[in-house]
Amino acid sequence: MAQDETINYLNHDRSLKSWLLTKDHKRIGLMYLGAVSLAFLAGGILALLIRLELLTPGETIMGPDAYNQSFTIHAVLMVFVVLIPAIPAALGNFFLPLQLGARDVAFPRLNLFSFYLYLTGAVIVLSALIVGRIDGGWTFYAPYSERVGDSILFVTTGVFVMGFSSILTGLNFIVTVHKMRTPGLTWNRLPLFVWSIYSTAIVQVLATPVIGITMVLLFLERFLSIGIFDPALGGDPVLFQHFFWFYSHPAVYIMILPAFGIISELIGTFSRHRVSGYTFVALSSVAIAFLGFLVWGHHMFVSGQSAVSSVVFSLLTYLIGIPTGVKVLNWVTTMYRGSISFKTPMIYALIFLFTFSIGGFSGVMVGVLGIDIHLHDTYFIVAHFHYVMMGGTVIAMLGGIHYWWPKMTGRMYNETLGKIAAILVFIGFNLTFFPQFIMGSRGMPRRYYDYLPEFQFMHELSTYGSWILGAALFMILGYMMASLINGKKAPSNPWGALTLEWTHAAALPHPHNFLATPIVVRGPYDYHLAREMFELVPSGDGQHGEVIPGVEASEPDGRPEEA
Amino acid sequence: MTSHSAEGHPAHLEHHFVSSEQQFDAAKMGMWLFLVTEILLFSGMFVTYTVFRSWHPEVFAHSAELLDWRMGGINTIVLLASSFTVALAVHFAQKDNMRLVIINLMVTLVFAFLFLVIKYFEYTGKFAHGVFPGAAFDPHGVAGGHNYADYNIPYAAQFFSIYFVMTGIHAFHVIVGIGVIAWITLRVSRGEFSSAYYTPVELTGLYWHLVDIIWIFLFPLLYLI
Amino acid sequence: MSHAEHHIVPIKTLTAVILTLGMLTILTVAASQMDLGSFNVPVAMCIAGIKASLVIAIFMGLRYDNGTNALILAIGLVLAFVFLVFVLLDTNFRGDTSATQSGTIMETEQLAPAQTR
Ligand SMILES: [Cu+2]
Repeated sequence: MAQDETINYLNHDRSLKSWLLTKDHKRIGLMYLGAVSLAFLAGGILALLIRLELLTPGETIMGPDAYNQSFTIHAVLMVFVVLIPAIPAALGNFFLPLQLGARDVAFPRLNLFSFYLYLTGAVIVLSALIVGRIDGGWTFYAPYSERVGDSILFVTTGVFVMGFSSILTGLNFIVTVHKMRTPGLTWNRLPLFVWSIYSTAIVQVLATPVIGITMVLLFLERFLSIGIFDPALGGDPVLFQHFFWFYSHPAVYIMILPAFGIISELIGTFSRHRVSGYTFVALSSVAIAFLGFLVWGHHMFVSGQSAVSSVVFSLLTYLIGIPTGVKVLNWVTTMYRGSISFKTPMIYALIFLFTFSIGGFSGVMVGVLGIDIHLHDTYFIVAHFHYVMMGGTVIAMLGGIHYWWPKMTGRMYNETLGKIAAILVFIGFNLTFFPQFIMGSRGMPRRYYDYLPEFQFMHELSTYGSWILGAALFMILGYMMASLINGKKAPSNPWGALTLEWTHAAALPHPHNFLATPIVVRGPYDYHLAREMFELVPSGDGQHGEVIPGVEASEPDGRPEEA
Repeated sequence: MTSHSAEGHPAHLEHHFVSSEQQFDAAKMGMWLFLVTEILLFSGMFVTYTVFRSWHPEVFAHSAELLDWRMGGINTIVLLASSFTVALAVHFAQKDNMRLVIINLMVTLVFAFLFLVIKYFEYTGKFAHGVFPGAAFDPHGVAGGHNYADYNIPYAAQFFSIYFVMTGIHAFHVIVGIGVIAWITLRVSRGEFSSAYYTPVELTGLYWHLVDIIWIFLFPLLYLI
Repeated sequence: MSHAEHHIVPIKTLTAVILTLGMLTILTVAASQMDLGSFNVPVAMCIAGIKASLVIAIFMGLRYDNGTNALILAIGLVLAFVFLVFVLLDTNFRGDTSATQSGTIMETEQLAPAQTR
């Protein structure tokens, strides 16, 4: 394609104002990526400090009060400021319209607005640190959250505001997928990343309003004592937990569904094979999105909710295993049939298969009523959700960042360092969290500041693991930044992928994404239709994918350019 | 492919859409999604209401007597009428009769204000007898044939808290609606819309109807049963 | 671009709907004045449901709109219903965990034949 190499979305206007007021989904995506990374850095440093404190029983580096605050802020940052917006708002924003062959999301102004809402929410949350102490974890359970100091108000307000940002992003993406697909891009030709972001958006739109009203009621209860949640006023604290988890369980799928999408892309691309069971993988995302609304009570087995609802929630929780299993089996089948190239992103996909499977299986375990009574509020739970959140979402996010880095920045990172870092992440992660499964099953309660001496060995292993993990993450930060300065210039399609962002957009995309409207005539992973691709790829430099069999560009479209 | 020449390109069409039709459909779908988020937001309050009602049905039935069904009924009619005028405004926008659009939107505004005025008298009437949400709940005095002290029973405070929170958040939506309708009326009078492009009028109408629908449920739940 | 395809709801239909809505409001008030026993709540909710459906179908034009928007609304309503039902499944059966017999499983199993006798 005759792409104009000189003009791209980064250099067409370099002023600060053009960034702050941009309506370009690519720039908004990058700004999200920056903000999320900063919050991840802060939350990560807190995690390292928490692990360091737990190296020995008793006080190691901080007192119990600082410890309570650290794990609370770590959780609030990681859940609300990092994991929920991480993949959809950063990578989703950047690549959803590109994969759809669209010029932008359906509502670009709303997109920018939701970014600023997110920033505002994050700032409000962080200002809680200045106002006073927040402890008690990220769940704000009533009535404690209504009686503790005022700084909790900043956290709940911040969560409320960020919730609106999440709703607007989801709304924008749903409409974009429905209305902005390029000609020929039918539903059964959508890349699986699009399917997963679409399913995520459904959850964002349907679940998030409930956390909004929950925060409003919490606020009113604190100031007017309306007596909905506080037992001292005639309210019911378990009702608060229902409200909270009606959002917060589906929120887990806001975090993990996009990760599934990235893994599908990575496994399809690096196995050089059509993702087997495409329809099942695509629809299982939608199935998980809806099933995810029926299981929230599994967080409340020991809360005093009725036994009949515990039984129902427990049974429904098992069902989630089915669509998730469908995905994992199809990914493995894809690799079995394909010819795998072990590039860094693919290594993250393989790590994901290992760590997420452990997270998923341990999740089914704690969904079992009898077992959960013993494991509730122990390190087993901590290990389980870190295997899902970090072993799932963060690993997939790292894979996605490596995969799309050339498209976002136009630079290649150092492949050798990338592989070393990925392996270190794998070792560090498992060393940190696997001992926590063992501790938890032996009765080490979560959130405790102090512990019995027999747990010290496991805690030590976990802390050493956190150092390896931390070092690996800093290493990634290092070589990624270095690639911006002296990385090799990336070709437009370094991996020989078949989705539109690689085949039809320039190495650095044009401000309006495509010079010509792409017309799609085949599926996103139809490698069997494009044998020529395999010969083109290995050399790894220069412009590839000029002509891809089965994909043609229309004549330059006559849509008016903005002045 | 739809292709416009730069001159034939309508002013309201944003660059990333192919056609006005696509832009209209996208906007309308976005609005419906937003309305669904509103429904789920209110669902939290309806759940609270149902839970406490199912725990204390007699208290709720007894407390509801203090709310005047005449006031609530008149407000129901007022909101329904405003829904009607908004529907008329959209109708006339489609027929390119912008004068009647403005008139209908203004009538809608009058109804919306009337609703709030009646709500104001209801609230102050309750406050005067110590019927407040939450801890300040302390009913006293006699009015309208009710001895308010009879209503000082356990969990009556919950009923009135839920009443004030639900109607309060609903009233907040009415106030937002007034702002939006006023702004849209201004834009209509500036000649920004025509039968070819009236998306904001239509979307505002959708929002206003939802506010009406919420009230359709609040009225029987709080005043009648 | 013309919007020729957009359905224009006739004034006659709109008027018929608002009159029906007014009538239903009077009906629901009248019904609440009568003592219908346990039917009071269902009747009021049914009438409210009919009124809301009329507003949605005609005033909001969903009847003439494309199916996706109707699907969106339906999903939202189903989810709100799920929220309500699952919370009630707890709150209306609260305390059933304590409705257990004392003694170990073995003891209750030994007791069981004695009770049937
Ligand atoms: Cu859960």
